[in-house]
Amino acid sequence: MKRATLWIAMLAAFSPSSHATGDSLDELGLEDLVKTEVTSVSRKSQSLSDVAAAAFVISSEDIRRSGAQALPDVLRMAPGIEVAQIDNGRYAVTARGFNGRFANKLQVLIDGRSIYHPMFSGVLWELDPIPLEDIERIEIIRGAGAVMWGANAVNGVINIISKHSRNQTGGAANVTVGSQGYGNVYARIGQSLDEKTSFKLSVQGRYAEPSKQFDSRDDAEDRLKNGVVDFRFDRDLGAGSDLAIWANASRSTLGDLWRIKPENIGGSIALSPMSFMQRLHSETLVGRYRWLSDIGIESSLQLSGSRSGIEITDFIDESRTTFDLDYLGRYAIGTHDVQWGLGLRNSSDDVSATGSYLQIQNPSFIHRTSGIFVQDDWTLIPESLKLGLGMRWDKATRNDSSYSPHATLLWTPSQMDSVWLKYARAPRTAARAEQDVSILAGLTVQQTQFGNLPIVQYARPSGQGLNAEKAEGLELGYRKQFSNTVSADMTAYRYRYTKLRSGSQSGLIGCNNAFLFVPIPGMQVDPARCPGILSGQMVLLQEIQAVNGLAGWSTGLELAADWLVTPNWRLQLSYSWSKLNMDEGKDQISNADAEMTQRAKPRESASLRSQWNMTTSQQLDLWLRAMSSYERVNITDATPSTSSEPNYVRIPGYVTLDLRYGYRINKDLEVAVIGRNLIGARRFEYLSDYIPTIANEIKPSVMFTTRWKF
Amino acid sequence: MSHGKLRRLAALLTCSLGLLLAVPTTYGEVASEGQLKAAYLVNFLKYIEWPGTRTTVNICLFGRDSLGPYLASYEGRQVGGRELRIRKVNSPEQLADCQELFIPETEEARAGAVLRWVDKQAILTVSDAETFARDGGAIALVRTEGRLQFDINADALNRANLKASSQMLRLARQVIGSVR
Repeated sequence: MKRATLWIAMLAAFSPSSHATGDSLDELGLEDLVKTEVTSVSRKSQSLSDVAAAAFVISSEDIRRSGAQALPDVLRMAPGIEVAQIDNGRYAVTARGFNGRFANKLQVLIDGRSIYHPMFSGVLWELDPIPLEDIERIEIIRGAGAVMWGANAVNGVINIISKHSRNQTGGAANVTVGSQGYGNVYARIGQSLDEKTSFKLSVQGRYAEPSKQFDSRDDAEDRLKNGVVDFRFDRDLGAGSDLAIWANASRSTLGDLWRIKPENIGGSIALSPMSFMQRLHSETLVGRYRWLSDIGIESSLQLSGSRSGIEITDFIDESRTTFDLDYLGRYAIGTHDVQWGLGLRNSSDDVSATGSYLQIQNPSFIHRTSGIFVQDDWTLIPESLKLGLGMRWDKATRNDSSYSPHATLLWTPSQMDSVWLKYARAPRTAARAEQDVSILAGLTVQQTQFGNLPIVQYARPSGQGLNAEKAEGLELGYRKQFSNTVSADMTAYRYRYTKLRSGSQSGLIGCNNAFLFVPIPGMQVDPARCPGILSGQMVLLQEIQAVNGLAGWSTGLELAADWLVTPNWRLQLSYSWSKLNMDEGKDQISNADAEMTQRAKPRESASLRSQWNMTTSQQLDLWLRAMSSYERVNITDATPSTSSEPNYVRIPGYVTLDLRYGYRINKDLEVAVIGRNLIGARRFEYLSDYIPTIANEIKPSVMFTTRWKF
Repeated sequence: MSHGKLRRLAALLTCSLGLLLAVPTTYGEVASEGQLKAAYLVNFLKYIEWPGTRTTVNICLFGRDSLGPYLASYEGRQVGGRELRIRKVNSPEQLADCQELFIPETEEARAGAVLRWVDKQAILTVSDAETFARDGGAIALVRTEGRLQFDINADALNRANLKASSQMLRLARQVIGSVR
């Protein structure tokens, strides 16, 4: 009933009302048009109306007016994207479920170059890949998009497009200071060398004092120090060809606390936090040449080389060199628009495990991936019906080759409506860490008739090797422009996931010979098989091997609506509902994995943004965000438990508000006050993973920012 | 927070939005960007002279178009004694019958290629990418100081064998190159 009321209210709100501006514009001549005032709130972002996929665009103005300081916070405005902040710099970000600190089903590209990390298969969000100020727009396409964007674009792809350097000439300096010792300094210079050549250089530094742990209110030791330098050079070579060069260097230093250190306090085991320092760096050089052949084939060749490293004190030290080659071709002929491409990547690493919590086999490894695709968009009936067919082949070291077909049908019965149907399949290739890393993954204490027994979970890589995970599904979308001021976009999807990685119990080991006298079914006593710090201890080691053991269904509905209420006021709504239904696993551990995955999915999320230009120099922006609750397992828990059920912790849902008031002093100088996370109860957004993260408080914050162009 | 609470909040929000709509708003001469761009595209047809005579005039929208909905209401109208048609195009062959071609800013990456396709054809190229006229396109729609204005590249018009009226040249924010 409530739901019905909601939908009626929503329909009423977004129906084409009496309120269209009328046809007065039609009668105007050019002389009048140049004098006509244009709405101050721009709608640049609604430009993917012809795409047969669930697409959402975030413009540079949306980014600026959101008040967000980090890329993941910007992504919260898109329907279907789940963002959970872990601490000052770390985020868990995914599209359509399976979220985690190393969420691995979302591909992220910056100017066509993937920043998906082959070590963990995920994105290290704490490293600022590019200053937010330098982003032209972000195109988010939810759903399987492997054919164009490569393996791992399983649940979606985020395409970050940077500003062309000729649009960034001159200088700029932005300074933001805020609560919790927050500071953000950005500076840029750019120049047009001649009609066809331009460059820009920007630097950004961000700093934040540590946040607080949610439970104890102790220092979370997550002091953030980030820096990024970004250079871009563009040259128009004429006749449809151009050259672009990017050079980028980024650093991040961020502390962390893990509940990982077992301590014997008064005869019982307790876990105390252990502090780690994490240093990330990345240096990248990219060149792209685009040209047009005489018969009209558009081509783009991009070469890039990068060096990067992850260092976590007393834990892991990784350094990596990656080379990428990407070719894209496009030939539009008659009713066909054909695109094809080739991508090669060679990524070599050296990894050393420096503590006793983690072991790695193959300390040096070369990961090679290659993929080719072809895609045709075929106009069957002009202006009305378009068929898209595509196929991709991928091969990665230690992974099977995989085929990703893609088919779409786009029907536009009128200029105002479009309906699309999509079928797609995508693989998620197994990452280096999943295949080579053994890690102490959790600790629980079981109350038994023999007393309290600590059980340590020890994740080992698969003996047989892991295969790629697979997703395959259908989507149906409808887009409508109700009037000149109201548009909406709806998507329903259902995907089948198979071969998802899960754990499977491969052994239960007693680490002390005393266990010889304890009859536990299935247990072997073998202290030598336990990692150094556990050998001889009165603990049980539960060995868990990674297998492709899970499968399930994901179903969801997403809505985005955009309404220009008055010429100075724009509202944007997004809402998503989704559900995971995992199949039952083969054994107790994979069963528990299935349940954990299912319960870790927040059911609903919503965002309502209001952009209001009060006067020509004043802007007031409001962003109301809501997320429903979900559950995660506390993987390290020293409280004795009598059941074999994992200890679920509920991460409460929330509604919160961001505000921004901007004042333009003159055309080159703007100041703004930003408040983030202003309402709602004290909260944390994330807990635990493979890494036993501590729940940190996400606090209200206030910032003051100045933007100066010169 | 429970689902129920979240839903109630959403309902409250949407209801208040509905109420806001009921309040009559007056507009004056303020138009949305999309509307204004569409009006420009139609208006240019009146100020540009194409070689030859025909009974229809076509505005073609290239690639991932964003103006279609705003132009829909103009379809079938008479502009300068010719019937206006709106078409979506993707490939060079489809351009043959276009008098005016709009390349949206989001297709800027392909603008260079498209300009080469239409080179020396009597097609008026228009884009909302700010530097389009400087980059060899005929007309760029540029947002400045709360208004939408246009830059003209006279050399591009000459190459396309198109003639712009003196009034149009006078109204342009900037004319690049020399008028023949």
